[in-house]
Amino acid sequence: MMYNNILIFLSGTLLIATIVLIIKREFSEWVQAYKYQTIVLSIITGVIGYITNNWEIYLAAIITFSLKAVIVPKILIKVTEKINYDFKIETKPYISTRMSLVVSTILVALSYFLTQQIHLGEDVIATSFLPVSISLLLIGLLVMIGRKIALNQIVGLLILENGLFLFALSLTHGISLIIEIGIFIDILVGIVISSILIHRIGYTFDNIDDIHQKPASIEYTEEDD
Amino acid sequence: MPIETSASVSDILIGFIQFMIIIILAPLLTGIMRKIKAITQKRIGSSIFQTYFDILKLMKKNEVISQEVSWIFRFSPWIIFSSTLVVAFFIPIFVVYSPFGLGGDIILVIGLFGLSRFFLMLAGLDVSSAFGGIGVSREMMISSLIEPALFLALFTVAVTYGSTNVEIIMSHTAESSILISASLLFSLFGFFIIVMAETGKIPFDNPATHLELTMVHEAMVLEFSGKSLALIELSQSIKQLLLMSLLINFFIPWGLSTSFSISEMIVGLLVFLLKMVSLGILIAYIETKVAKWRLFRIPDLIFLSLASGLMGIIFLFI
Repeated sequence: MMYNNILIFLSGTLLIATIVLIIKREFSEWVQAYKYQTIVLSIITGVIGYITNNWEIYLAAIITFSLKAVIVPKILIKVTEKINYDFKIETKPYISTRMSLVVSTILVALSYFLTQQIHLGEDVIATSFLPVSISLLLIGLLVMIGRKIALNQIVGLLILENGLFLFALSLTHGISLIIEIGIFIDILVGIVISSILIHRIGYTFDNIDDIHQKPASIEYTEEDD
Repeated sequence: MPIETSASVSDILIGFIQFMIIIILAPLLTGIMRKIKAITQKRIGSSIFQTYFDILKLMKKNEVISQEVSWIFRFSPWIIFSSTLVVAFFIPIFVVYSPFGLGGDIILVIGLFGLSRFFLMLAGLDVSSAFGGIGVSREMMISSLIEPALFLALFTVAVTYGSTNVEIIMSHTAESSILISASLLFSLFGFFIIVMAETGKIPFDNPATHLELTMVHEAMVLEFSGKSLALIELSQSIKQLLLMSLLINFFIPWGLSTSFSISEMIVGLLVFLLKMVSLGILIAYIETKVAKWRLFRIPDLIFLSLASGLMGIIFLFI
């Protein structure tokens, strides 16, 4: 039971990193915030590895850090360099940032309420991280629903993916390393494919904009800005 | 900890020394933060004692008062200053003893800050200049959003330590070895955002400029001059020091002295100064790092603080 306090603190830090990630609306800003969230997640993975004394989880923590906190943000920033700035900033989301903050607080409360019903016994890791992982899943879904721009919907996908990783880790205390590496490679390939797709979409839309926008016809509507 | 109803002479003396230290060190803290901000922006910056020189110079100057203003404009600097001084009697900084500790709790402290802000806003409206109106309407928007978030953050602290009295909360925090509950982490995060908002730091307000687009606090005090301006500047510095010391003593209280022995109090004072300067460096660094947010995005940040406070309450009851 001596780890209980540290684990609850780490889950609180992860939740704070997640709500900071929600309020970002510009592409490069949320990539930065995602990096911090993933660093917290890899620290949590390392602590779980220390408690369960399993070297495979240490390896998973190192891969999480190097892949999701270093490589994926770099790829995303690199690929979207040339895309028009208007496609990167979320000005009119379906669910406003303030509303999604309040709703995500309710989702956190809901996931804690739901996991209280499950009997997890004396398992410290599951009791402290299972509700957090479920709330990450729900918040990721909310962000994916709420955003209008395709580029920014990836943030929801990535939050959801972090939640899935934590979900598997907290329930099984380390699935086999082969499966973990397979999942990581899946993520990497998924990010590469989706970023190529985004690049093509941005390129196409930029072209369309170039054809249809003449300087005289540009109308700036400043009502929301 | 039982509350002693009778105060001895040494208690009163220590309380008075603590009060004087708050008044004397407050402009120095502002000077240090400005200096650090200048250094991080690769400027040399003015001396850390510049705030004292400014206040002394303003004291000697004559006041210019518009003919259109009523008595509110002349009285409000004194009300602002005196209500801030009363708050300084409530908040312990290096030894757990507040001279007015029995007279009120943390809600009264928030109320006194609210009183001073109310009179600042009235004075801003009273001069009926366009800038005053802009500044006051912005300040009203921000402060009406801050207050629920502040109450949520402090509610979590009060429930965790079982009291709303500042002295009792701090006597409990000084004994706890580490943050005893995870919900305090959330209220620390929320409270930090609120301290940035209340003291007019950069994502919310930029006190260094006189640009009409960015002014919030400066627009309200634009018409003040001479002694009134000196009083307002001094009370702003004191308010900043008090809010930062509330943050330090609630959430990172290690080193806070609980007894009246001389050695412990000196250690407490030194540790407090160290923590205060480190917090000042952190805030000045954040101010350099981030840009001023657009006015209508500021509620997003305050809602972040509010959501953090709500999550703290959820963590309190699991």
